[in-house]
Order: sequence, then structure tokens, then C-alpha cells
Amino acid sequence: MLTRRIALRTGLAALAAPAIARAQKVGGEITLMAYSGIFQDNYTKAVIEPFIAANPGVKVNFTSAGTSAQMVGTIRAQKADPQVDVAIMDVTTSTIGNIEGLFDKLSESEFPVLNELSPEARAAGGAFGPAVTFDHLVLAQDSALKPQLTKLADLWRPDLKGLLAISAPPNIQGLALTAMVEKMEGGDYRKSIDAAIRRLRELAPSVNTFEPNPDGYALILNGVVKVATAWNARTQLVADQSAGRVVPLLPPEGSVFQINTINLVAGAKNRAAGAAFLAYALSQPAQKAFTERMFYAPTNARAQIAPAAMARTATAPDIRARMIPVDWNDILKMRDQWNNRWRREVIAAAR
Amino acid sequence: MTGYLELTGLHKRYGESIAVHDVSLAIGKGEAVALLGPSGCGKTTTLRMLAGLVDPDRGTIRVDGADITRLPAHRRNMGYVFQSYALFPHLSVARNIGFGLEERGVARGDITRRVGDALALVHLAGLERRRPRELSGGQQQRVALARALVVHPSVLLLDESLSNLDAKLRDAMRHEIRSIQKSLDITTLFVTHDQVEALTMCDRIAVMHRGRIAQIGTPEDIYERPAARFVAEFVGRANALAATRDGGGIRIWGAAQPMNDPGWPSFDILIRPQRMRLLPSAEPTGDAMRVEGRVLRRAFVGDRVEVLVEGPGGQLTVELPSGGTLPEEGTAIAVAWRPQDNLIFPPDAA
Amino acid sequence: MNTRLPLLLLPAAVFVLGIYAWPTLLLLRNAFNEVGPTGAMIPAWSLATLRDVFADGFTLELTRNSLLLSASATALALLLAYPLSLFLFRTNSRWRGPLAVVAILPMLVSGVVRVFGWLAILGDRGLVNSVLQSVGLISAPLKLVFNWTGVTIGLTESIMPYMTLALLAGFGRLDRTLEEAARSLGASPWRGFLRVTLPLSLPAIALAGGLGFVLSMSAYITPKLLGGGRVFVLATEIFEQATTNTNWPVSAVLAIYTLVLLLALLALAQLASRALAR
Repeated sequence: MLTRRIALRTGLAALAAPAIARAQKVGGEITLMAYSGIFQDNYTKAVIEPFIAANPGVKVNFTSAGTSAQMVGTIRAQKADPQVDVAIMDVTTSTIGNIEGLFDKLSESEFPVLNELSPEARAAGGAFGPAVTFDHLVLAQDSALKPQLTKLADLWRPDLKGLLAISAPPNIQGLALTAMVEKMEGGDYRKSIDAAIRRLRELAPSVNTFEPNPDGYALILNGVVKVATAWNARTQLVADQSAGRVVPLLPPEGSVFQINTINLVAGAKNRAAGAAFLAYALSQPAQKAFTERMFYAPTNARAQIAPAAMARTATAPDIRARMIPVDWNDILKMRDQWNNRWRREVIAAAR
Repeated sequence: MTGYLELTGLHKRYGESIAVHDVSLAIGKGEAVALLGPSGCGKTTTLRMLAGLVDPDRGTIRVDGADITRLPAHRRNMGYVFQSYALFPHLSVARNIGFGLEERGVARGDITRRVGDALALVHLAGLERRRPRELSGGQQQRVALARALVVHPSVLLLDESLSNLDAKLRDAMRHEIRSIQKSLDITTLFVTHDQVEALTMCDRIAVMHRGRIAQIGTPEDIYERPAARFVAEFVGRANALAATRDGGGIRIWGAAQPMNDPGWPSFDILIRPQRMRLLPSAEPTGDAMRVEGRVLRRAFVGDRVEVLVEGPGGQLTVELPSGGTLPEEGTAIAVAWRPQDNLIFPPDAA
Repeated sequence: MNTRLPLLLLPAAVFVLGIYAWPTLLLLRNAFNEVGPTGAMIPAWSLATLRDVFADGFTLELTRNSLLLSASATALALLLAYPLSLFLFRTNSRWRGPLAVVAILPMLVSGVVRVFGWLAILGDRGLVNSVLQSVGLISAPLKLVFNWTGVTIGLTESIMPYMTLALLAGFGRLDRTLEEAARSLGASPWRGFLRVTLPLSLPAIALAGGLGFVLSMSAYITPKLLGGGRVFVLATEIFEQATTNTNWPVSAVLAIYTLVLLLALLALAQLASRALAR
């Protein structure tokens, strides 16, 4: 009875991507764990709904646990009886999951789509789940601020005293900012962050909050601050939603990639459907749809992104050139040390 | 009206209800006066106005000629013994008694001496270091009294001070307080609803009713010559017999009575039960008041016997000393009393 | 009857064991795990984390911050809640009911909502600064949030309702008549308060103070949202280590340390309250 419908869809899907053709035999329920809020809204529209349309037998439950660290914590706690099949989270936490055996290794034979990914995307997960989105740190600023910031060094402008929202470590925005400031000062974060800490210490009195809540955009829109550290994708979205009130600035001094990986949970209840979803999420149509909707840079190198959207992501060649090559594994090893230096040397100076 | 303690036109209302209605009272130096009345009659409010714990709406309070109406409580120098004693639970007996002296800045040595004297006065010497909760009710009462007296107050105020003691202890304390009051010659105002307390402890009694003073007088005045039916019925007991006018004479329970017509269409005559006597139906009584009935019930109450008599107009109680011969229940009997024992009030005087 | 009592306690016992004791044991277990260089947890029976946490001077600073913040918030809340509770305890006014509700209302509102309320009041462009600036008392906004001041104010407000209830419950020995007795003995209202009301309410103060202190020590939302990343206390660090750093062993060690600290403080408060009630 189902044969004719499946045959028809197989024909269509085969034209789009081989991954879909492989996924069509699956059914049942899967649980995807990822960020809530606008990420969930847009990911549902751009990726999950098309996946379900192509795989009517599959039901996708979306769940979240808060931050990436909370997500890996939840999966860690469920190790004996996993309730999540696929998880999207920051690479710094998925690395922990990879080491702890929470996630499956992915092979090219099972996931041919891996061959379509950019080398950075593959490298992010090693043998495990690869990058599914790229993002980078920007400065979100109030369009009413005159003159507008044009570079990272403008943060030290005296007129911005008390008007900055800076996410301090252990938040990864703070870690990324540290690497960026060190680079701005001509240093290399892998060797020392002394220069960065010295400059950030000077910046401290200008900082309104080191822990923007609910987020930096809200503080700008409420007039509490003028500038906030932010991720590009969300800032682009907020810029559109606020009719240009919030403007993203990619500092010419350079920025740092934030990487979300997609991971197959070890011992997942519905591995087949989970794998099908993972493959679809990395496929060209899914990558294109999500990038054009939310401005995360695609990790599938073959995805054909509309130029207007492309220009607003780190995939644009001129932007890409400014990226500071950062190995998050290096930073993770120094995280506690950086964290302590921020607390004792930077934040203490702002009290 | 002049006296050591003078209340003039004291008035206090709470919302719609008038608690104290234009009360005036003069008390001589060293005199003990009871404010007697049922609960809610305004006696405690009056006492609290004297102590400065309640502000009167109008009227004045004078002590030894000085107007203290607007003086705050802590500057009035009155000794107040509370119904609950209000001993400070966190302080020793000695600190409780010395509290007022400490507040007056008396030297430490003098405090110790005076507290000792006060404890001796109330027969509690040696209990200085106890806490109030380690004392019996009677002992607490004595501490409260000592605490109020030790500061040499100009007036001693006692608010139902014996009501929390058992009957036997109450008798003993009554006499003790009275003798201390007399020996110190201290002007004292008692508030009580207990007529025995009022009758035995005071030089004069002010009976209060619905915020007003119904009568002021010596215990004997109050008992023998009540000025109002309320007083007659509240202090001591009384039989109320309905009297009707018949031609020029007065009838009670249908029997003509040898008394003058006061001129009211109908009224009650009140008679104390112990002022009545019983006699055989047939026996004449001369010019005494008399009604006929039968013995309904007899009750032996120790030193006396109460006989309940039922007649055509209702029931009455006759009180006789115990030990005499008593008529059997159901016997037809006559009840007689002297006309001068009649307590008669105009019908509208409640 | 006696044999039934343990049976009746069984549901509660199972509940407490399941909801509290078991997770606490799991927490205890995590404290002995180790953490790899990139943050991965390595199952172990090791005292390394314990040693590291207590060798770190920051733990001492966190402790000092927590104690100081809790002490100041508790003291402030006591100053505000005490007169309020005394009034509520005594008044026969028709405002008693509404006032009591207002006093405990913050308990019924989510902590997050209350904190954002404070941001609107205390922020650079908030109510307080706007008023002070418009009347010309200050030229630049006062820093009232995203620092120690903001957290102290927020904490004070959040523990006040609990302390008000604790005070009301502890005022059992207060008796208006005792104050009247003091006045009749020559004590002014203030002297009467000092010599009678205050000493008699010391057990209530100890009780409310202990409660407020413990609540402040374990408060997380207020220091997190009003501290602006500048106020580091044990509760925020426990959360931060678990949810941002993925460092469960450190989080577990700090949580157990805080628990022990709180139990000790509660025992002290209990002792104080009992001693004062004598």
C-alpha cells in the first residue's frame, strides 16, 4: 500500500540528495537536543519540518537543557539509559562527550555526506560528530550610538564607560574575546594572554555587566548598554527583528569561530532514525535553508547559499580571511587559568 | 467633690459603643475603693485610663490636686497589678521587683535593700533569684504586688488581681492585700466582678453598669440600700416579686399587702432570701408582708438551707440557717418578711 | 498503635530518601571523580579535586563573600522585617490582612521576575537614578546593580518574607501586657522596648536570622542576575562549575562544602535560639 508513495518520494528525494534516499526506510520517534528559543524556532522550520516531510514515519521531539554544558551534563546523567538520540552543542562540550564515550564515531561509509563537509567542519569532531554550524563573535551595537564602533579597539572609547555588556569566562564569548584582544595586541593566545589581560583590565571600568541577562541584545534594546559581545547569527536575526536597532560589527582585528557539532548519542534508542536525521542536517538543502534563515555559516561546503545571506555569515571570503585560527581544545586546557585571571585581574578592577 | 484621687467626667468610646460614660469619682488618701460590675461594664477601661494605658476622650484625672490626664503612663507613678500578673519571664524575681526602681535611677544598693523589704512584705524572702515560671500562682501574685508597691506609687491599681487563684488562696490573699494596703495607707482602686472581694476588701464600692457608676457607697450601703434594681440584683441575691395595684392596696401573688401604694401601675418588689421566713399556712403574721405557696424543693448548702417555694405568682427562694426543722417538700406554707426589707425601684429604673 | 507509626512514616521516609538522600549520595560520589585537561570527567576514587578546591585561594574568597553577603542581607532584612512583623503581630487594624499579604507576596513571585523588577528600579536609567537625577541630587547615575550593592538589596528583599513569617512565628512570648507593665513601672516606650520586647523576641530574631542567613547562602538567582558577573559566591560558583565549565567534581566538592557550612550554621542558630529562649 505504501509502495507507490514511497517510490514517488524516492524519485524526488534522489534528485535532491542521496542522504534522504537512505533515510526513507526509517520510522519511530527520535529526540533532538539543542538550544531553545529562536534557535529551536528556526531550526524546526528550516530543518526538522522538511525532514519530517521526507520521512513521514518519524516523529522528532525537540528538547533542551539550557547551555551546552547542561546538555552534555544531561546526556552524561542518562548514560545508562539515553533519552536523547541526536544532540547539537558547542564543540567545547561535545569534545567532553566524545572523550567520555557519550557519542558515536561516524564513518564515511555510513555517512557519505561527511565527504561534502569543509575540512574545518570535519576537524571539529575528529572521528565523532562534525560541525553542523559555524558562527563567530561580533560586537552588537545600538544603531543610535554615534559614532558607531568600527573596530575592536573602539571598545576602549571613553564615551562608552558603563555602556558595555561583556560576557566573561567561563562563558565561551569571554574566552573568544580574550583570544581576539591578544591578537589585537599582536600576541598569540597559545603563548600568553598577558597583553589581553592588561588591556581588558583597562576596559573593566567601562563594563556595565560581565554577565548579560537575559542577553546582550535585550540590554541594548532596553537602553541599558550600547555595546555587547554577541554571536553573529543571532545578532543578524535580532538586527532584522529590531528593524536595524541592533547592528553587528565584525572587528577588523579578527574574530573567532564558534562551532556547534551534531552528535549521535551512544546507545541511542532509535539509532537508525537518529542517523538519518544527522545525515539530513548536514545535507546541502538543510544547510542552505538554515543558513538563509538564521545566518549560521554552513559546514557543508557544497551548499549553495543565496549571496545576500552568505554575505552575513563567516563563509564570505572577506570575513573568513579575518578569522583567527583557534583550536578550542587548546583553549579548553587553559580555560580555568584564563577564568581565574579574569576574576582576579579584570573583574576585580571593575568593582 | 474633692479627694486625693479625682476622676471627673471620664468618657471613652470605642467606635459606636461607649465604654465609659461620664464617670466621676473621688477617693480619699489611703482609701480602698472597688469598681464592681459585670464584664463589659467599663471598670477595666476606667482603671486603664487611670494608669495612662488608655486615653480618655474627655474628662480629667487628678492625683493630689495635679492634673495627670495627659501624662504618659510611665510618668504617672501608679502601681498596677495586672490580672495575668505580667511578670517579665526573662527576669528574676528580684529584677522584676526592682524594674521600676531601676527605671527611676535608684542606686543599686538601695534597690537591693528595697527589693528585699518588698519581698519580706509579701512573705517571699529568699526567692530573689527564681524565675517567674518557677513560682506558684499565689507567689506570682505576691511578686506582682511587691513590684507595684516597691516604687511607692501614689495610687495602687489592681485589675481582677485575684481571679486567677483558687478559692482558698483567694481568701488568704484578700486579707493579706487588705492588711498591706491598710498598713501602707495607700490609696487603692480595685477592679473586680466578685462581690465578695469588693465587700470585704474595700472602704467603698462603686458599682458600674453599662459604662456608668450606678451607685457609690460603703459595702453596707450597697447591700442594704441599693440605689438601683441592677445594684440590688448584682450585689447579693434577691427575689423579685411582681406587685399589682388593686383599688388603694397592693397585692403580691394575689395576697393583699400591708404597704403604701407608691403610685405605679405595676412594679417589682425585691427581697433578700435571708430576710424572709417560713411559717405554717395557718399562722397569722400581723403587719408583715406575706405570700402563700408550697415547698417545691430544699437544698442543703452547708451553713444554710435554701428552700424553693412555688406560689400563684411564680417561685421564690428563702434562705434559712441550717440546723432548724424544715417543712417537707409539697407542704403548703406561708412566706413572710418585714416591710422595711422591701427593695422597691420605679419601673423604668433598670 | 505503636507498631503502626513507623508504617505511617514510610511514605515520607521513602520520599526523603529518594528525593534527597540518593541524589546527595550521587553528588558525593562525583566529588571523588577527576577531570581531564579538556574537562572530561574521569571516574575515580581520588581526593585530587578536594585538594585542588581547598588549595585554591578562590574558595576562601567565595566563602568570605558568601558569609559577608549573607550577613549583610540578613542584618538589613532583620532591620526591615522586625518592625513590620511587630506591627503585624500586634495590630488589630483592618490593614493587618492586606499588609501581611503584601509582606509575604514576594514569596509568591518567581525570583527571576523579582530580579528583573529590581533591574528596572535600580538600573542606571531605573526609577531611583531617574528620580535622583531629575531632582538634581546626583549628576551621574549611582551604580546600584550589577555589583555588591544590587545583590545585597535583591537578597534582602527575597529573604524578608521568610524572615517576617519566622519572626511572627517566634513572637509567641511577646505579650502587650508586659510592655504595659513596663510602662506602669516607669519605663518609657523605648526603654520598655529595650528591656522587655527586645529581649523576649531574641529567640525569634535568632530563628529568623538563621533562616535568612541560610537562604542567602544558598541563593543563586539573585547574585547571578543582579551581580553583573562581579559577585562571586559559593552558590553561583557551584552552578557555574556544573553548567558552564562542565566540571562536576569541583561543583560537587563545593556543594558538599556549602552543605556542611550551612548545617553548622543552622546548628549554631538553633543553639542560640534555645539559649535565648531560656
